[in-house]
Amino acid sequence: MISTVFAVLFYLATILLVVGVGMKVMKYARTPVPLKIVVSPAPRTKRGVVLRMFREVIFFESLFKSNKWIWIFAYLFHWGMLIVLLRHLRYFTEPVWWWVELMQPLGKLMAFVMLAGLLGLWARRIFQERIRYISNPSDHLMLALLVGIAGTGTLMTYVTRTDVIMVKSYMLGLLRFDIRELPLDPILLSHLGLVVILMIIFPISKLIHAPGLFFAPSRTQVDNAREKRHISKWARNLPPLPEGIPKKKEG
Amino acid sequence: MAYDVNGTTVEHDEEGYITNLSEWTKELADVISKAEDIDMGEEHWAVVNFLRDYYEEYQIAPAVRVLIKSIKKSMGPEVGNNKYMYELFPYGPAKQACKIAGLPKPTGCV
Amino acid sequence: MAALDMNAEGGPKFVGDPLKIPKIECGAMMDTNTYKAAPAHNEPLGFPGELLENWQEVAIAKLGELAATNRAFQVYLDTCVKCGACTDKCHYFLGTGDPKNMPVARQDLLRSVYRRYYTFAGKYFPWLVGARDLTREVLDEWYTYYHQCSQCRRCAVACPYGIDTAEISMAAREILDTVGVGQKYCNEIIAKLKKTGNNLGMNPKALRATLEDLEEDLEEETGIPIKLPLDVQGADILLITPSADFFAEPHIDGLLGYAKVFHAAGVNWTISSYASEAANFGMFIGSYENMREVSWRIRQAAKDLGVKRIVFGECGHAWRVGYSFLNTLAGPFDFLDQNYPIPQHIMEFTSDAIDDGLLKIDKSKNDEFVMTYHDSCNVARGSAMGRKEGGQFDLPRKVLQAVCNHYYEMERDTIRENTFCCGGGGGLLTDDLMDLRIKGAAPRMTAMQQVSADHGVTHMAAICAICKTQFSKVMPKYGYEMDNIMSVHQLVANAVILDGQETEAEAATAEETP
Repeated sequence: MISTVFAVLFYLATILLVVGVGMKVMKYARTPVPLKIVVSPAPRTKRGVVLRMFREVIFFESLFKSNKWIWIFAYLFHWGMLIVLLRHLRYFTEPVWWWVELMQPLGKLMAFVMLAGLLGLWARRIFQERIRYISNPSDHLMLALLVGIAGTGTLMTYVTRTDVIMVKSYMLGLLRFDIRELPLDPILLSHLGLVVILMIIFPISKLIHAPGLFFAPSRTQVDNAREKRHISKWARNLPPLPEGIPKKKEG
Repeated sequence: MAYDVNGTTVEHDEEGYITNLSEWTKELADVISKAEDIDMGEEHWAVVNFLRDYYEEYQIAPAVRVLIKSIKKSMGPEVGNNKYMYELFPYGPAKQACKIAGLPKPTGCV
Repeated sequence: MAALDMNAEGGPKFVGDPLKIPKIECGAMMDTNTYKAAPAHNEPLGFPGELLENWQEVAIAKLGELAATNRAFQVYLDTCVKCGACTDKCHYFLGTGDPKNMPVARQDLLRSVYRRYYTFAGKYFPWLVGARDLTREVLDEWYTYYHQCSQCRRCAVACPYGIDTAEISMAAREILDTVGVGQKYCNEIIAKLKKTGNNLGMNPKALRATLEDLEEDLEEETGIPIKLPLDVQGADILLITPSADFFAEPHIDGLLGYAKVFHAAGVNWTISSYASEAANFGMFIGSYENMREVSWRIRQAAKDLGVKRIVFGECGHAWRVGYSFLNTLAGPFDFLDQNYPIPQHIMEFTSDAIDDGLLKIDKSKNDEFVMTYHDSCNVARGSAMGRKEGGQFDLPRKVLQAVCNHYYEMERDTIRENTFCCGGGGGLLTDDLMDLRIKGAAPRMTAMQQVSADHGVTHMAAICAICKTQFSKVMPKYGYEMDNIMSVHQLVANAVILDGQETEAEAATAEETP
């Protein structure tokens, strides 16, 4: 029964996540950009922009320059999460890919790094008065959710142990639309439940910053306004302004 | 918002510039200058009169430099210099003197 | 001068941290408001004269329309994670401590309303995501705090997602205008420009008289009839410069500098009385249509006069519009000479003239000044110059250092792309916001005081009409004189020696023998 409920939830959450993010991305991509608003100094070629975005995504360059504390916590969290996520591929592949096997010890360790980053960010949100001022309940809940996911995961890795063979079998089953049994471990079920929630809110919350980053004209535009005319569709269709200048007598 | 000149009222905007330029009189200038905390002397009047003459011809206040050059010619370099102009009109010869002279406020990045 | 006295007291000392973060003081600036526009200011811009009866409905619809027609606005509304990296980057926050002047908090004034009407969470769980109804109080709050943003984009540099508060602030002002709540300063000026061709409202006759007057001064100084040509058909270069260059100090000295450079380079140039303004306040109010209309005048003037090139004078936001938007708004400029950038900045022109050896320079003429340079926000973060990335920082410095011997940089985090706004940009250069302007100038002024203490810096140069006016007003509050702000081309003018120019010695003997 619970296995079925979770299966339905996972399918639903996946659809919402994929469709939701897809729709947002489509919306961003289709919304016109009326002006060149790149924040300079900026690259003057496409290549340069790709490099700039690479540095943003890989190193969080702007954040590094603007706030070292937020940068370090955000960096720990995001990279920790990425490696933890990659480690989770082992529950969806059979046989497990060699590099996933290889990173297993690192992946297990990274859970702590991810948690440390999250707790650091949360501490700033609570204790730093400027950030406390700008925080809404949802900002705290989002951190709670992530801490919950990482926390339950870490518990299962290091403390309680759940039947991973069974979990893996369930996940492989899900991929083939074959609903198998899930271990009825409350920590596992909380872990999975929180993940489902995260997947559902991803496209309709601030988590959309992940794909959104690639649609910020201030960073992704090429600084070549003088060389290449940039014009949006709606601007092209504006009624033309009168040609010539009205001749007036001086004075 | 209005100045009271011997019982007649003269409308002005939020910043004290009169709205109908034709309503200006010397008496009004005295009233405005009091509101601005300026004691009008001969030199103040020389500036105000020049501003009004210039405005009549060009429909705009002169650049401070043009004003100073003219005052320098008429009253000598002791009066016709930037520093002294700011002593006469602490909030700037352009804006404050224009207000007293009943001219519109110079706008833009000035 | 106080700044120099500090030095005299016994060597450099620490005068204060320009980046010092104040304690939060809620509501500190809530009563600082700029005058609202009268119907006569709003209507010529295509906006309703007064607050519409159904303003709420119109504002919400406009918000949606802007999100649908401007990707930046849409993405910026969605992607903020409230990380807080921007919270200490705004000069108005640093100067006032009002938390609503923190960039993210400023954005949220509008984002909270967007969430309420346009997002799932805001519609059904407003308390959770800080969504709120658009009430009259909210509208008033927008008016207050979106007129405490100079759209300088220092926060956009800091944001990990490139969220640009200027875009939000422009959109907010556009919404306010659309429901009939305009700002007097900007809207009156745009209306004036549409009538007379410039922000001052200076008609062609007055402009001609002013230019002739300045020609007299130039000839008196140099003994050479240097021209400030107006409406010359068939000139090679059309100079588009802020009208403050015809009116205010030290702006005029900059204009005289351009004239000397053009004269020395031997080019045929002109000013246009129809497009006698570089400034484009349409940008400040976020109105594409108004910005386009103002830009269109430049195109028409260039066509009408048959010029080959367009050169912009020293004006910060005008250069953002000129460099980044002009081609979009009034292009394509296929009728101009394609061998030159369109448009070109006077700094690019002068820099080339120096490289080509066209300028004879005596740096010692500026020896009385110990200079530093203030990067104007719109030039620094909204434009470029020259052929290399970062030219907008390097070219003005190169020109400055070519014409004066004493030059020092202010603290690294307050210059170049991290420069602080002067405190008067973005349509806030109005007397009714003087308190905000003085407080907002604090970070820049502190950085200057530091180089005054460390290196004896006396003067600051800038290439923006707003910066120049702002500093001439606020510098006296920080221990300087009003003329401690200079135009870069004022220093150029001081140092350039023109062919046939009388030297001071010659002029003296000439005077002695009548």
